[in-house]
Amino acid sequence: MKRIIAILVASLTGLTVLAGYFFQAQLANLTGLLIEWGILLIGLAGVIGIGYLLKMHLVRVAHWQKGSLLSLIVLVAFLVTVGIGFFLPSESAFFRNWVLNIQIPVETSLLAILAVTMLFASLRIIRTRGWTLMSASFLISALISLILNLHYLNPAIGTAGAEWLEFVRRLPLAGLRGILIGIALGGLIVGLRVLLGMDRPYEDGP
Amino acid sequence: MTWTEIGWVIIGLAVVLLLFFSLLFSQRGRYAVRVNPAVNAFVKQRVRSLEGGKQSQVALGDRFWSRAYPALGLHALSVSASLEETDLGAQETQVFAAGTGELALFARQILCGTYQGGYSSALNLILTGPTPYSFLAGFLGEMGLHSTGSVGLFGHYGPTGALILEAAQMKGGHPFAAAGSISAQAALFLTTRDLLIGEEIFLLPGLMDRSPSLQAAWISEDILRVLLITLLVVAAGLTLAGVL
Repeated sequence: MKRIIAILVASLTGLTVLAGYFFQAQLANLTGLLIEWGILLIGLAGVIGIGYLLKMHLVRVAHWQKGSLLSLIVLVAFLVTVGIGFFLPSESAFFRNWVLNIQIPVETSLLAILAVTMLFASLRIIRTRGWTLMSASFLISALISLILNLHYLNPAIGTAGAEWLEFVRRLPLAGLRGILIGIALGGLIVGLRVLLGMDRPYEDGP
Repeated sequence: MTWTEIGWVIIGLAVVLLLFFSLLFSQRGRYAVRVNPAVNAFVKQRVRSLEGGKQSQVALGDRFWSRAYPALGLHALSVSASLEETDLGAQETQVFAAGTGELALFARQILCGTYQGGYSSALNLILTGPTPYSFLAGFLGEMGLHSTGSVGLFGHYGPTGALILEAAQMKGGHPFAAAGSISAQAALFLTTRDLLIGEEIFLLPGLMDRSPSLQAAWISEDILRVLLITLLVVAAGLTLAGVL
């Protein structure tokens, strides 16, 4: 019985929200309410998730396990941020500066590491994937794209050269759309499987 | 025909196909699922990791829902159920990591059984950070603490997901990815050979568990894909001919 109720609630809620996309005028109030409930539940789940995070680091520090120093730093940073956040509003310039002046440099340095990693990974692609049609196409297209985007080739507008360049520049977009259509189809099937009760991630575990 | 009506037709057709093939495959007949070497390699490496006492790490994504890729979070949860090891010894060397509270909570509920029934103490499900960057930093930190076996990326990521796989390779682990977004897939392509792209990502549960309903999902997706390709080619031809 519990199982059937769970499937019914999930399916009806999902189908109502889905129908809301097509009948916006008629179902706007109902779908709005359902989405607000969903956001509330996700917010609550987020708080529980933070609880997991704290518990993991607290246990590690309490037992002085490997990595406990890093856990201690996480806990201190978390408590200080939450503590200040309770007393100061989120619009406070001091609070925003305090958080952002740490967060942005850290995130930027991660992006810098990513840029270097990508560069080395591009150079190593043949070793990673071998000489395949895919890897060779990737290398050649990356090289062509790089040359085109340097804007050294500037044929006059309206000439065959300009049209050819425009065509080559638009080729990656065609590939991108192909992948996005595939992802959308996959997403549609996953969503429908949940709505039809074939896949039940909300149900008790096996 | 408006775009809304086209949307209804595609969704309706998908529903009909799913129901029809689920019913058909539950009684008789099977759909010959394609063999994917990347998935086979991942499954083998997972077994090797668990047997060798190395950690098998499964990352479920840095967010549960995104507007551009709404189903990736659900997909990660679906995969986590397929990857769950029920053996207690294996559970201890297997780590599931989530990047948001709701993803961690839902995954925990799936992996451990009922919420009311309490959690399994053997299950290693961690929230390494509640934002994409903190998730990444936390996950990399966790990898540094243990000997890494296989590392699987599922769900939603940005291009920073490539850093996880790069770190896994440097630690001698076996990286595998069935994750989005588009930018992540481009970055992951450079760092691992075992990568699923586009719609292949969503076919993964069907490769690991060949149940009739998952096979129905496979064939429905294949039919819709062929149909869409045909329509696109025909529409392009008609546009060139000046009919459309």
